[in-house]
Amino acid sequence: MKPPADELMRTAGLIKVFDGDGGPVHALRGVDLSLAAGEFVAVMGPSGSGKSTLLHTIGGLEPATRGEIWLDGRRVDGLSQAQWAMLRRRSIGFVFQTFNLVSTMTVADNVELAALLGGATRHEARERREELLGELNLSAKAGAAPTRLSGGEQQRVAVARALASKPRLLLADEPTGNLDSSNSADVLRLLGRFHRRGQAILLVTHDARAASLADRVISLFDGMVADDAEVRPPLGLPPAAAGVLRLSG
Amino acid sequence: MRAAGRWISADLAARRGQVLVVIAVIAGVVASLLLSATVLAGATNPWQGLFAQTRGAQIWMRLAPGTNTHDLSRISGVTDVAGPYATAVATLSQGPVQSQVSLRAMTPAEPAVGKLLVRQGSWLSRSAPDGVVVEASFAQALHVNVGDGLALDGIDGNAARVRVIGIADTSDQGFYPDQTPGLIWALRGVVDRVEPVPGHIEELVGLRLADPAQTGLVVQQAVTQLGSSSVLSVTTWIQVEQSMARGDPLLGLLLALFGLIALGGAVLAIANAAAGRVLVQLQELATLKTLGFTPGQVMSMVVAEQAVIGVAGTAIGLAAARELTIPLLQGLPSGVLPAVMPLPAVWVALIGGGTELAVVIATAVPGWQAARVRPVATAVRPQPTSHLSWLTRTALLPRFPLAVVLGARAAFLRRLPAALTVGALAVTMTMVTIGLGFLSTVDDVQDNPASIGLADALTVSPGELSNAAARSIVYGDRQAAAVYPSVQESTLLPGDTTSITTLGMGTSSRPFPFDVAAGHLYTAPGEAVASQGLLSVLHLQVGEYVRMPIGGVPVIFHIVGRIIEPEYDGQVLAYGLDTLSQAGAAMPPVSYSLVLRPGVTADAGRAHLLRGAGEGLDVSIVSNPADQLGIVRAMLTGLIVILGLIGLTSLLTASAVGLRDHLRDVGVLRAMGLTPAQLMTTLVTSTTVLALTGVAAGTAAGAALAGRLINTGAQAYGIGAGIGRPPSVAGITVAVAIAVAAASGAAILPARRAVRARLATVLGT
Repeated sequence: MKPPADELMRTAGLIKVFDGDGGPVHALRGVDLSLAAGEFVAVMGPSGSGKSTLLHTIGGLEPATRGEIWLDGRRVDGLSQAQWAMLRRRSIGFVFQTFNLVSTMTVADNVELAALLGGATRHEARERREELLGELNLSAKAGAAPTRLSGGEQQRVAVARALASKPRLLLADEPTGNLDSSNSADVLRLLGRFHRRGQAILLVTHDARAASLADRVISLFDGMVADDAEVRPPLGLPPAAAGVLRLSG
Repeated sequence: MRAAGRWISADLAARRGQVLVVIAVIAGVVASLLLSATVLAGATNPWQGLFAQTRGAQIWMRLAPGTNTHDLSRISGVTDVAGPYATAVATLSQGPVQSQVSLRAMTPAEPAVGKLLVRQGSWLSRSAPDGVVVEASFAQALHVNVGDGLALDGIDGNAARVRVIGIADTSDQGFYPDQTPGLIWALRGVVDRVEPVPGHIEELVGLRLADPAQTGLVVQQAVTQLGSSSVLSVTTWIQVEQSMARGDPLLGLLLALFGLIALGGAVLAIANAAAGRVLVQLQELATLKTLGFTPGQVMSMVVAEQAVIGVAGTAIGLAAARELTIPLLQGLPSGVLPAVMPLPAVWVALIGGGTELAVVIATAVPGWQAARVRPVATAVRPQPTSHLSWLTRTALLPRFPLAVVLGARAAFLRRLPAALTVGALAVTMTMVTIGLGFLSTVDDVQDNPASIGLADALTVSPGELSNAAARSIVYGDRQAAAVYPSVQESTLLPGDTTSITTLGMGTSSRPFPFDVAAGHLYTAPGEAVASQGLLSVLHLQVGEYVRMPIGGVPVIFHIVGRIIEPEYDGQVLAYGLDTLSQAGAAMPPVSYSLVLRPGVTADAGRAHLLRGAGEGLDVSIVSNPADQLGIVRAMLTGLIVILGLIGLTSLLTASAVGLRDHLRDVGVLRAMGLTPAQLMTTLVTSTTVLALTGVAAGTAAGAALAGRLINTGAQAYGIGAGIGRPPSVAGITVAVAIAVAAASGAAILPARRAVRARLATVLGT
């Protein structure tokens, strides 16, 4: 099958098996998934359905047991750990539920670290950091330690860090899972804003409101794709989703 | 690269305290290794330092009177010429003792080549025309001090009274009495008075060469130029160096050994600290990988971070050693090290580079672990083996404070880090205890010389008096607790070329109180005791027989005991004087060994005897090798401090790892209702319990090893086993108290931070 011209990422028959205490655990059982450049796809599903594993495997944090992963027209599933790391520097940004900021570095350093790693000069890294933190309303916190920030602020820094190297693909693993509704809305609004500027996003979430921002929602069940549906902006939205859309707009 | 640099600097800043302690440890280790190597080099090869400091000449030539030396500087390879100095042969009389002297005429101006290092007093001066400067080893052998008057006689009997105004070291000739005659520098006037015949005054010139390897060639050229009849004798630096070389590097070896042990401890502590850091940072290292750091990069970052710390420590250590060398060596009694020169750059590079390499190697395994961290790994929580161990239940029953019980239980929850901490502390404490053992041995040797066979404080020989007069003065001296007649004679070992010292000390019915380590003292004629060095050389055991020529007669000795004897390189045989008369040997001149009454110092005893005898007696103070061990005490103390810092590094690591493991528990316990004070107690207890375990194990091991180690060393050195003393109880108590206090201290700060942390952050809700 020839991929569409604007395809950014594709998996084919992706399988991931963990060695569990009580025998092998089949986390992914042949996932076929594709994502176009600039597309925003949400992955939903109950706990244990393999959502996070899918994200980690696509980002190279976990090696796939079998199957193919293509990124920008290049097959990447056989890459070594180091090659995956090089790929992540420039092409993949991660946002986690638990923020995962480097606690020994300031907010500014966390963001600049990613930019520097992505190949930016010191000057470019600082510019990029100023631009992102300004946009995320965090300029005043640039010199603060991450632990001094609220959860919402930490997650905004994490988003800034993930985007600092201008990756082609942003992988977000339950980014609102640890946040209250107001902070969740902030983070989702941010994701929406960057998406409208052309950022491709693969979002794993439990949150229907978050999923409603996406162009497409994929439902995962027992490590298999159960449903793959485009989200159409229908008339007569349910109140919650309408609220999210209004916020994001 | 930039990103890695950013992370390293942030991480260093985040744990400043621990970083500073590790830097101090490395600096201390490097400094002590350098100082030990300097002392070692100075003790084994003093010529090198003396030669450098005196800007010595490699070749010295004695020339016939009136030899023209103007063209010597034109010989290719010669950079400078010292002299020519007028020299005369003289005899120095001290009572009946006469010593050959080479009297050398110098000016008050300091020579450019072959300078003198004035140790005491001052250099020659026009204002003191009768003043002379005596070479240091000669002065020491003759008990000559600044201010003493000397009587010099020329060959033709021209006498001159001179006064000693200075004592100096030189690289011109080897130490007295290995090289004779003794050397005295004087103004030309004194030389002319002792030797008024110009034809008897020889010339002495020194040649300094650009390349010492050219020595042989230059000597040939000089002899050709001057004419072989004009050159009376030639000495080169090689002969001087050989005559100065001493096989007495015990001090340096001891210090180097301790330096190396400290390096081993530091490597352990650094490995432990780096491993602990990786454990604490698993989550963050995983995050770095998600950002795009490769495993190789992560490993290099962990190693590079320690390497930076290593470089800083090494640099400070080098600087400290540079600053400390001079004051430290001034603390040495003169004669131990005539001169010390800075270590050759190769040595410094080896020590600095070796330490740095050791640091990097110590970090390699933790670095490799860091590289293997899975990007999605979350911190591995300890898996408790059961809810409450039987020990905990038992402890809770008699109502121990809950916080203490919980803390003690938490200490061993993670077996590997607990074992690492206990192990590192135990090793450190073992070395501290051994160090304390060395210290108390030095104390014992210094306070109680009899324990190393130096019961006598003074040796008296008749001097100008008759034997009978000397005998009556010595036996009548009230300051003396006991007097033993003694004779000393060197003899060649059967079938060997080395000579050993035999001592007739006391009689078989009243033997000298040697410190007997095995067997018993001589109680019958023909019996003898020997020190370890002699037994080793002759492959003898106590109980065997040996035949030695004494006073021209072969005497068969039955060795009945082994004694501790630090003098004569440990190669000594001692027997009762009656053995000689029984064997029909000629009695050598008798001296007397005096044991003084308690409270009487050797100086006071000597002064009292000399007053009684009108300065006629020759009284010398028995030197105690421990007097030269003051420097060892200072170095040992320094090393114990370094070991303490090493222990502190381990404690800080233990505290950080413990906190990471228990942070979540702290939140839960707080939520359950434990007060902040109870929580602090829990956290501090868990570190302190580990520390106590390690310290107890280390102290036990150290106490068991200390005596054995010292005795092994003493045996190898020829003194023989038996001088080792256990570390003092007070010293150990203080060390343990400091260790436990440091353990609590190291735990308190992070514990307080944890207790004050927001509950929600801790619990991750």
